[in-house]
Amino acid sequence: MPGVWRAVAYTDGVVVIFHSPRACAHIARTMDINTHYRSLGEGRQEERASVPLLSSQLEEKHSIFGGVDRLRKCIAFAIEKYQPKCLVLGNSCVAGVIGDDVESVAKEVEEEYGLPVLTVDSYGFLDGEYYEGYFEITYKLIDRFLQPQEHVPKTVVLLGDSGGPWGHYATEATRLLQAMGVKVIGQFPGYMTLEDLPRLTSAEAMVVLGGRGQTHDDFNKLTKILEERFGLKSLPGIYPVGWQQTERWLVEIGKLLDCEAQACEVLTKERLALQKSLQQFLPVTKNKKTVLCIGRWLMYFHPDAVLGTIKNLELDLTGIILLDAYEEEYRQEMVAALRLHTDVSIYTNIDGEALLKEADLVLTTHELQDKNVKQIFLPMLPKVGTNGEIEFMQAIYRVLCSRHGGGGMIYV
Amino acid sequence: MYSNNQWGNICHRVDTCALSGAAAFVAGIPGAEILVNGPLWCYFYALRNLEHARYDMGERFHDCQPDNNAIVYGTEKFLTETLQRLLERESKPSLLLVESSCSLSLIGDDLAGIVRKMNLTHPFVTMDCGGLVGGFAEGYVKAALAVIDKFAKERLAGVQEDEPKERAVNLLGLTDFYYNGVADTKEICRLLKKAGYKINTVPGAGSSLEELTELGAAQLNIVCNEELGLKIAQHLEKCFGIPYVAAGLPYGIKGTQAWLEQINLALPCENMQAVRQEAEELTEFLTAKGNDYRGLWGSIWFDKIVLAAPGTQALCMAQAVRDEWADMGELVVICQHDVKHSRCTAADKILLTGKDAEEIEELLQNEEDLLIMGSCSEASTLRRRGTRFLSCTIAYPAAEEVLLTAVPFVGLRGAAHMLQKLWNVYIRSVIDKQVHK
Repeated sequence: MPGVWRAVAYTDGVVVIFHSPRACAHIARTMDINTHYRSLGEGRQEERASVPLLSSQLEEKHSIFGGVDRLRKCIAFAIEKYQPKCLVLGNSCVAGVIGDDVESVAKEVEEEYGLPVLTVDSYGFLDGEYYEGYFEITYKLIDRFLQPQEHVPKTVVLLGDSGGPWGHYATEATRLLQAMGVKVIGQFPGYMTLEDLPRLTSAEAMVVLGGRGQTHDDFNKLTKILEERFGLKSLPGIYPVGWQQTERWLVEIGKLLDCEAQACEVLTKERLALQKSLQQFLPVTKNKKTVLCIGRWLMYFHPDAVLGTIKNLELDLTGIILLDAYEEEYRQEMVAALRLHTDVSIYTNIDGEALLKEADLVLTTHELQDKNVKQIFLPMLPKVGTNGEIEFMQAIYRVLCSRHGGGGMIYV
Repeated sequence: MYSNNQWGNICHRVDTCALSGAAAFVAGIPGAEILVNGPLWCYFYALRNLEHARYDMGERFHDCQPDNNAIVYGTEKFLTETLQRLLERESKPSLLLVESSCSLSLIGDDLAGIVRKMNLTHPFVTMDCGGLVGGFAEGYVKAALAVIDKFAKERLAGVQEDEPKERAVNLLGLTDFYYNGVADTKEICRLLKKAGYKINTVPGAGSSLEELTELGAAQLNIVCNEELGLKIAQHLEKCFGIPYVAAGLPYGIKGTQAWLEQINLALPCENMQAVRQEAEELTEFLTAKGNDYRGLWGSIWFDKIVLAAPGTQALCMAQAVRDEWADMGELVVICQHDVKHSRCTAADKILLTGKDAEEIEELLQNEEDLLIMGSCSEASTLRRRGTRFLSCTIAYPAAEEVLLTAVPFVGLRGAAHMLQKLWNVYIRSVIDKQVHK
């Protein structure tokens, strides 16, 4: 259900109703509050408020008598109060268990009020995780609101969430694209108004705000559909984390949108910015003993970017510890990926214990308990582009400047 | 016909579900643990909320991670495996609550039977306790009654034949999982002890399971947060004849004395004078300091204050805000629970979430230049609307404030603390108004 919500959370014109106990909607609200404060914490502020979210507020008695009447009343209220241009209904596990026919209610309402009502076949945790609902609504928005049209050169649409247009990923991608003379016409799903949605297919290309793993694969499927049905070009899955991948991303965007010369100019400027930052950081970071601890599968964590940062900052990588989380097959996969970039010794948790005691800094995918070392957490979704790389290097620099004793975790 | 007021945008309020409330009551018993029979979503959501107050909850709050087939085939396999894993640990919980989420409470698993089959060597209690039961308060009450009925009832019946301990009181409806709850409980206990009462138990906020079996040794039950404690008090009165007083929460100096007077009427104490003396000394101190600050900044004034919090806290604090701490043009109170005993004559308007949803939505969308005393849920709503406002955090979620010290909001120590908070908000607002002119 929260996935359903996030897919249209800032799509003005939409009202979302969860056919659920009230508390389920509060989960979405909690996510909403967290997004707000994460943006503020990063020095950004959301540019608009999320769309109304209601709950049909199922109670125990509805598990016996059904909750469909309750849902109808809630819908009637939502239409009267908010006059939406589209209704989106999310289904809870409870609605699934008691067998409420939400699809039929959606059809009735659509006929009665003459407005689109989108619903999903997934019922809370009975039918998968967050992204089941997210992508189901996304595909329904495409079916319902998008038409093929002429493409406007040098325009792109951003695909994915990553904290929205005011989040780090979209802000950085937009900055780099604008520097190349490329206009971002919106971010889908979730952040284009219902009125603006039809403009999506006028974009020349799509840029996926990608990550790794299953979600990224799902976004690639989405790009294929938009490519086949509406002729939008797409950038192959490049995740611009670390300087090397950022360089690659810029070059490929240049090729895709026929602006290679501008891309080359931007690349030069970005490289200069990176080098300027390095001049500030290097006196502190050079030769500092660093240990890299990895406990994530290769599918979710490619070590190339962090190894690139270690190299740029001239840190002394004294060892790599592969944490206990690995089955042998996945461990070997990670070892092979590491060996493409470094011949530094690889240790187990136990063997690497001594290294940690000597380290000035530990870069880790998992918090190390009771370790009296300075740890920087390597997030699932690291910051991207030149600014992302500079912010990461700055975090390392600041940790090494810190004279506080003891351990603790730094989040970047 | 339906009542429009029951719906409304969920994004103008926040609450947690009964799963969290039940877990909160049990987590207030030292060494107790909780096993959730429900999806990871619900588990993490509850855990995240509980962790705000207790950082160690991850070690005491478990989930059996049933997959979606469990809806058809039942959850016994998942529960049994998880319980087995918990049994293999060296340390045993003082009490284990096994609770089903809403969807899994509908499939008809015999939760108690499944747990009984494991022959646990430690005490346990089982219940269905998801969002269908209600919010935090409903879950808290359900768990409290289950624990009392299972572990205290026999003992209570026995104790009633003996004389209760003189001036012993139980404090009902307190929890570590309300904002600043630990410090507030401590201050309430301090004041009562100073007045000459003996704290018999504080269920759900520090008393051990063994101590809870002696609930019946009290002469009086004091209901603090009514939404959490009133039904427990009524249950104890009905079953065991222990009288109760729904005293609410003691905010402000006068408010604290009035609160204590209520209790004194129900069960006279020995040393009321000691509290009066502390109150007088504090009044003198705060008056002198207040004069000093007023000389520089003028009196604390807000055009409008909106105070949003759990029911009892909202009403009781609102009274102190207007009677003792600040001057204002208008005071609107948003109560998260419908509480009957706590009186508030200070508010110009009292709104109830759930019942007055539309009016609350209007209030948070259209008002300017107000002081919001509430959580970051209200603050984030106002900020997103681009509204100018001041904020003072008094409830969860509390993303806009760091609270590391254990200084209460309630009682005499709390009176100084709250006044300090309001002075600081006011001074900042005066400065900002001039700087951003």
